[in-house]
Amino acid sequence: MANIEKRHVINSQNLSGEFYFNSILQEAYSCGLLNDIDLENIQMQCISLLAYKSEKYNLGESSSIRIETAESIMKSILYTIGLYLKTIPDPDNAAVELKTVKIPELYERGRKLVNTKFQEAKHLYNMIQKNKLVTQNNSYNSTLSDNGIGIFFKSYNIEYEAHDFPASIDYQLCNPVNDLAGIEFIQKYLENLYIENEFCRNFEAENIHQLLYGYDKNYPELLINIFEQVLTAALGCSLADCNIRELNISRADIQCLYEKLRKYDHDTLMLTINKATNYIYKDLNVTNPLIRGYIGKSLPKIVTNIEIALKLNTLDKVFITPKNPDSEPRINFESSAKMDDENKED
Amino acid sequence: MSFALMNSFSSLIQKHAVDEIVKCNDFTFRFGLTLSEQDAIELVETRAFSLKSNGRIEFGGGVITKLIEEFCDSPYISRHNYAETLHELIEIFYFYKNETLDLISDDELIKFMRNSFDGKCQGSLELLSGRELDKMARNLRYGYDPDYSEDNECEEEDGDGEY
Repeated sequence: MANIEKRHVINSQNLSGEFYFNSILQEAYSCGLLNDIDLENIQMQCISLLAYKSEKYNLGESSSIRIETAESIMKSILYTIGLYLKTIPDPDNAAVELKTVKIPELYERGRKLVNTKFQEAKHLYNMIQKNKLVTQNNSYNSTLSDNGIGIFFKSYNIEYEAHDFPASIDYQLCNPVNDLAGIEFIQKYLENLYIENEFCRNFEAENIHQLLYGYDKNYPELLINIFEQVLTAALGCSLADCNIRELNISRADIQCLYEKLRKYDHDTLMLTINKATNYIYKDLNVTNPLIRGYIGKSLPKIVTNIEIALKLNTLDKVFITPKNPDSEPRINFESSAKMDDENKED
Repeated sequence: MSFALMNSFSSLIQKHAVDEIVKCNDFTFRFGLTLSEQDAIELVETRAFSLKSNGRIEFGGGVITKLIEEFCDSPYISRHNYAETLHELIEIFYFYKNETLDLISDDELIKFMRNSFDGKCQGSLELLSGRELDKMARNLRYGYDPDYSEDNECEEEDGDGEY
């Protein structure tokens, strides 16, 4: 009798992270927690709030507003209220609040949360500026610059476009942020990026550079995820008993791995990968549960890549052998005196 | 949330707007201008149509009454063309709210319309819409004063005697 759970009327699985307000309204209505009159009352209050915000937007100088602008303000209002409702652990209670608390009051509570989250995200951004990687990858560098995510902290419009995220984000995360918008999206993106950086900082920048150079000479121009490449390489090293910190796995090691792993079924492969991951934790002294959790979330994607590569005999495209750009043959030209022309007639 | 519910909301606004328009007869009466309740309903319908066709939404109201207050003493408006002119003015107003990128307030736009209508356009709605307001909207979009005119510049330069 220890595990008695309260039964919820609203199934939280059906709720959208991005459009939380709309989805909770729909769910509460279909579950009977809200009736037609409640729904109409909520909608009328929302429209009144929109009218008030639109007037403020126009500084009282214009009685009409473009529909796109009104829609954006409305989305901002609903997003802000949704953000507050999300903090209520039980969606049933959130539906009750929708019924009993005035919409402007819910909006104000949401506004406070947006403000707090904005400050948190700013702090996180500053922390990332300190733990960012030294790399030549342009998408990574530009995303972390003042013209990338930095724009967000200058342009985010809490009042009228809280659901939007005005930032230039090209860098792809290993675990992309889905089903979130506005400040929540930025916060989650920064959190994930911070974790990715923390893990990658276990390796020398030069080792990461050589690994990515081995992946593609033009890696500075590619939209790749550095963490994914590093984690995959670390896994390869762990599986092949190579030095994990150096991320150095040879072609011969990869061939041996191929011979070993191709015989495994999915479960055995997963077990082997999990063991290799634990070895990485031990070797690199990864104790932070956030980093461990993030790596755990990233593994299925990497395992799928390995499984496909094993079928196609292309494991060397998953586990990359690092390449030192300096050791590549080069053509050097040194200017000196011209040679005599043999056919030259005096 | 869609704007579907706006219908019931706007029907309340529309009723209120009709009442306000009819009330305007109290002061337009002295200029020989009055509107029947049917006229008021039609004006409100024109407003709704103009808002929709120009992709705008209005929560309050009052633009029609402001137009009435501003134009009722125009020498170019009589009881024969009063309602018809108001319909046109409403359409022109919302069209130029968009064309001016909302850079001008309602009151300023109405004032400009009135001055141009009585002045340069001499009561022509075609000139008002097709020339004066078009020029003004272009000026605002390019960052000039609403009254800026290249002709004025040339005249000033001519006045300086440089050309």
